[in-house]
Amino acid sequence: MLLKIAWRNIWRNKVRSLVVIIAIALGLWAGVFASAFVNGLMQQRVESVIQLEMSHVQIHHPTFRDEFEGKYIIHNSNEVVKQLTSEPETKAVSARLIAFGAMLATANSSGSVKVVGIDPSKEAAVTEIDSFLIDGAYFSGIKRNPIYISDDIAEKYKLKVRSKLVLTVQDTVGEIMSSSFRVVGIFNTNNGLYDKMNVFVREGDLRKLMHLEDNYHEIAALFSDHSLAEPKAKKLADKFNNLEVLPWMDLSTGMRMMIEMMDYYTLILVGIILLALLFSIVNTMLMAVLDRTRELGVLMAVGMNRIKIFFMIMIETVFIALIGGPLGLVLAWSSIQHFAATGIDLGSSTSYEEYGFSTIVYPYLELEIYVQVTFMVIAMAIIAAIYPAIKALRLKPVEAIRKI
Amino acid sequence: MNIIETKDLTKIYDEGPEPVYAVNNVSLNIADGEFTAIVGPSGSGKTTFLNMVGGLDKASSGSISVKGNDITKMSENELIDFRLKHIGFVFQSYNLIPVLTAKENTEFIMLMQKQDSAIIDKRVKALLTEVGLADKLNSKPSELSGGQQQRVAVARALASKPDFVLADEPTANLDSKSASNLLDIMARLNQEEGMTFVFSTHDQRVIDRARRVITLVDGKLESDVWK
Repeated sequence: MLLKIAWRNIWRNKVRSLVVIIAIALGLWAGVFASAFVNGLMQQRVESVIQLEMSHVQIHHPTFRDEFEGKYIIHNSNEVVKQLTSEPETKAVSARLIAFGAMLATANSSGSVKVVGIDPSKEAAVTEIDSFLIDGAYFSGIKRNPIYISDDIAEKYKLKVRSKLVLTVQDTVGEIMSSSFRVVGIFNTNNGLYDKMNVFVREGDLRKLMHLEDNYHEIAALFSDHSLAEPKAKKLADKFNNLEVLPWMDLSTGMRMMIEMMDYYTLILVGIILLALLFSIVNTMLMAVLDRTRELGVLMAVGMNRIKIFFMIMIETVFIALIGGPLGLVLAWSSIQHFAATGIDLGSSTSYEEYGFSTIVYPYLELEIYVQVTFMVIAMAIIAAIYPAIKALRLKPVEAIRKI
Repeated sequence: MNIIETKDLTKIYDEGPEPVYAVNNVSLNIADGEFTAIVGPSGSGKTTFLNMVGGLDKASSGSISVKGNDITKMSENELIDFRLKHIGFVFQSYNLIPVLTAKENTEFIMLMQKQDSAIIDKRVKALLTEVGLADKLNSKPSELSGGQQQRVAVARALASKPDFVLADEPTANLDSKSASNLLDIMARLNQEEGMTFVFSTHDQRVIDRARRVITLVDGKLESDVWK
């Protein structure tokens, strides 16, 4: 009977109930969709960081990332690569030579770049850098000193496929060494930061230029799952304790901070929305209680005890939340599904790309977030109902009905 | 046997500059099966008296014994439970639950008493037939006339088989025909089922039908007349 009365009470004042139901639905939709947008943006950034920039784990000489000098090589590179390759969860491994602060010069201009010496097929397995090719070829067609550059660099230095350029690097003893390279292919990863900085050459070509006999500066590994990055890094660090082994989130301290900041942002956003909904429900239920003062007095007069009155108000509120909540979640789910397929174009501005974000965002939210939000809404409705329910309890039958 | 016994029952409102005696030292007994009207001009204290006897209002002093239980010593929660088990109410403004049908309004108290559903169903149909609303079982209060609503209220008051029914101005909002019809029903229930009715009223039609008329003036018992 309580359920029946509570349910029918909702529809006594249809407009009032619908307004609060729609407010809950729209509030939830906005909150969940905004969370999905931020989550999608961050997921894409994380994917980009892992796929292109960091992989899951990177191994260096302990001083390499502080000094950026060519002499800090991984002395037991082959053993590390062998160990990494033998792990069942390892998808791909790429060993690299790196020349920071190299000079790229053409007849027109010059500037600083990071030269990465790679085994093209192994690098492609880790970063899929070959898949971003937009012109020319991925290390084929040019036999001597091919170089793979981004369209940003091509534009800046006015380079085309087969254009010639000169790279100047420091060798392991600090001598300045130069060699000419010819553009074999041009790529675009949609990550402005990355594209403006990196150029790729064959590992053998850079080795010759830097006078390095063996071993590498950097070994990057990709595993079958993102969650393996930290445990694997820890395991490898224990094994190779003379090397620096770091998971992707520690390779870029800004990244970990950004993810945490975005998590807080989402939490604050959903919190504000839920708080606004809470007051909206309190207001509606308080009006519902005050409108029914006489009726509640009659219920108490004829013998409905206070616990039942309390629960009747609580049930009404939860019913409202249970209508508005799923409606909002369905709305959010539908719009997330739609934009997950089509993407949300942030426009032609390149500022997002400059910070490594894609200009097309694909919102994404895990199922458990929907479940969490559902429970949060129900909890919010219960909290919102407490004050109006207590207000109903404080009514004295004789005052509520004035007289029998 | 006395169902209600009040002794020196007093209710004082002392919110203003001077205390107001709404009910002043009223001592009377109401026996099982009575059909009694408490009358008096407006402000005479008849409604306050009924409120206190029904456990809805607290007495300032004196005692109220209902079936041997001193209800002035009961807590709010005990009073709610006591009302549920022992007292039926009929209100001037009907006060049905608007979202429930006539049948649901009538069975409501029995459901709170956790009575068997088959018994509830049988009694509710019998009562609504008794008050002439067998064809209005599924009508909501908004679909019923004032007289019909008050008859549902009477059925509701009787559904749980209370020890007595307190009715405050039950005919005040009804036209002559509806009032007469309602009084016929209550008189029949009193005579046939022995149900005790206590009215507060200044409706002459109710006073004419009552077998005992208690008059209050300025909160004091003025007269107590058996016909």
